[in-house]
Amino acid sequence: MSEPGAPVAVTPLGAGRFLVETDGRQRVAYGVRAAGATWVFLDGEVTVVAAASASRGRAIGSDDEGSLSAPMPATVIAVTVQPGQRVAAGDVLIRLEAMKMELPVRAPRDATVIAIKCREGELVQPGVPLLELDDV
Amino acid sequence: MFTRVLVANRGEIAVRVMRTCREMGIETVAVYSDADTRALHVTLADRAVRIGGAAPSESYLSHGALLDAARATGAQAIHPGYGFLSENAEFADACRDAGVVFIGPSSAAMAKVGSKTAARQLAEAAGVPVVPGAIPADQSDAAVAEAARRVGLPVLLKPSEGGGGIGMKAVHDAAELPAAIAQARREAEAAFGDGTLYVERLVARPRHVEFQILGDRHGSVIHLFERECSIQRRHQKVLEETPSTAVTPALRARMGAAAVALAQAAGYENAGTVEFLVEGSGDGAAFYFLEMNARLQVEHPITEAVTGVDLVRAQLGIAAGERLPWTQADLSQSGHAIEVRICAEDPGQNFLPQAGVLALYREPSMPRLRVDSGVSEGAEVSVHYDSLLAKLVARGETREAARLRARRALDQFPILGIRTNVPLLGRLLTHPRFIAGDLDTHFLATEAGSLLPAPPAPPPDVLAVAEALAHAPTAGPGAAPPGADPWASLKRARV
Repeated sequence: MSEPGAPVAVTPLGAGRFLVETDGRQRVAYGVRAAGATWVFLDGEVTVVAAASASRGRAIGSDDEGSLSAPMPATVIAVTVQPGQRVAAGDVLIRLEAMKMELPVRAPRDATVIAIKCREGELVQPGVPLLELDDV
Repeated sequence: MFTRVLVANRGEIAVRVMRTCREMGIETVAVYSDADTRALHVTLADRAVRIGGAAPSESYLSHGALLDAARATGAQAIHPGYGFLSENAEFADACRDAGVVFIGPSSAAMAKVGSKTAARQLAEAAGVPVVPGAIPADQSDAAVAEAARRVGLPVLLKPSEGGGGIGMKAVHDAAELPAAIAQARREAEAAFGDGTLYVERLVARPRHVEFQILGDRHGSVIHLFERECSIQRRHQKVLEETPSTAVTPALRARMGAAAVALAQAAGYENAGTVEFLVEGSGDGAAFYFLEMNARLQVEHPITEAVTGVDLVRAQLGIAAGERLPWTQADLSQSGHAIEVRICAEDPGQNFLPQAGVLALYREPSMPRLRVDSGVSEGAEVSVHYDSLLAKLVARGETREAARLRARRALDQFPILGIRTNVPLLGRLLTHPRFIAGDLDTHFLATEAGSLLPAPPAPPPDVLAVAEALAHAPTAGPGAAPPGADPWASLKRARV
């Protein structure tokens, strides 16, 4: 797996600890498989390898398929648009709240709202569409 | 002194309060919601009482459930921690009426400092400088917008009853006012049950410097020096240190005297914090009263680290009617302390809070390092509560020694399974401007480019560890950390 240069030797130490030896220098890394990905901690930095979509959550409004979803489990505080309404890029469409923080769901582009798929007060899960916009 | 105290909170602060109670031989009562049945604070208490559902309104904010728990367990006093009911005058009164001591200021003092309107008037009367601003008597959206124009843009909209930056909105452009007012009001109502807004002039490149105070029932008030809290995101503190690199002995004396004068004017008892904005640095710096927090602060351990005072012990003594055991002259700052807040959040996604299981969580341990935490490996971080997992406090003879110790500790603080701000904090501690002590409250936003680098391709050594994990048997080392739910790993093993 190592790239050209110094070879890397990895020895599992148990309980998620790994001894990493490069060019005679040794360090301890930590690793675990969780949330559909492989997580590695080394020298204060975290790397998530082969992250499944669920592990990082998705940025709000980044979905280009026309539907928008929550980035994490959240409560719908308000739906501020209605089906058929024209919205401009950046408009707040839905307001979510999670972990004491308000998360506005904004329009990723100018569009028309096709359907609302959540209601106020509802606890919504990541990946489940909250609202659909028309195709570009 | 009390023999049994109920801690009306959860997470790291509940654990921290119980630690001192134990040292003092005081029995502890934990309370918990359905989301916290196996939480660390519950397992560490002498007794534990279920108080309701996962939503805070059904449990940690329920006056009735908490007082019932106090009665049922015979607790003589309630420590509210921070957040939740810690600054709720009605709850403080309800405790008194139920014959239980509320460990904090009186409801009267709380009312004087808890509302920004009242606190500001109090400060002006006590001769403490304030930032230009207003609380519109007419709270209609139009009147609040008009007040903002009068104070002069840019302004900051704040919930009158608030704290912790929740619901605060900076507005630079008059066109943004209607939306910002509506959102600030809604957040204020949701968080504090009161949508009254306060409008304040935004100070350019301010530092946030606060003073810890302690007051007893017998009229003595002292301060325990400053905490520099300028490193913030979304108006919430990320890193705190003491002493502040902006504060000279002369400035410290002036600010400390102002903090004490304000607390005395409020008839304040117990632990509190007077927050100031500082413009400039050194003897000639200007400072303005911001607000007073009528509770123990998240960042109180750095004050404990440099003064040697256990603030929770002091709170318990004051609540029991004792006199402060120190005069101002008895106290001094020794060395330097830096705290970083470890939060379940993704700095790469605008600090979006993260929920999930702490698949791997190992706290560092080294001399002159303190870790206050409310979680352990295998714990689930719930969407119902705030994202603070742990606080790491590093001490040193000098600022540089404390900084290097904090950085080294973060290098030994693996948290895997959900995203945290640990890597960001590590980079922050090695940032040239931080090393130079050149701070203001916009630091994180201004320096985001160098603090939030685009993820590089994983280095070969990291990929080699990932490869080793991929080839390990599913149930082997690293796959099922101790503390993880055995049923969860069983399920994984079947797949």
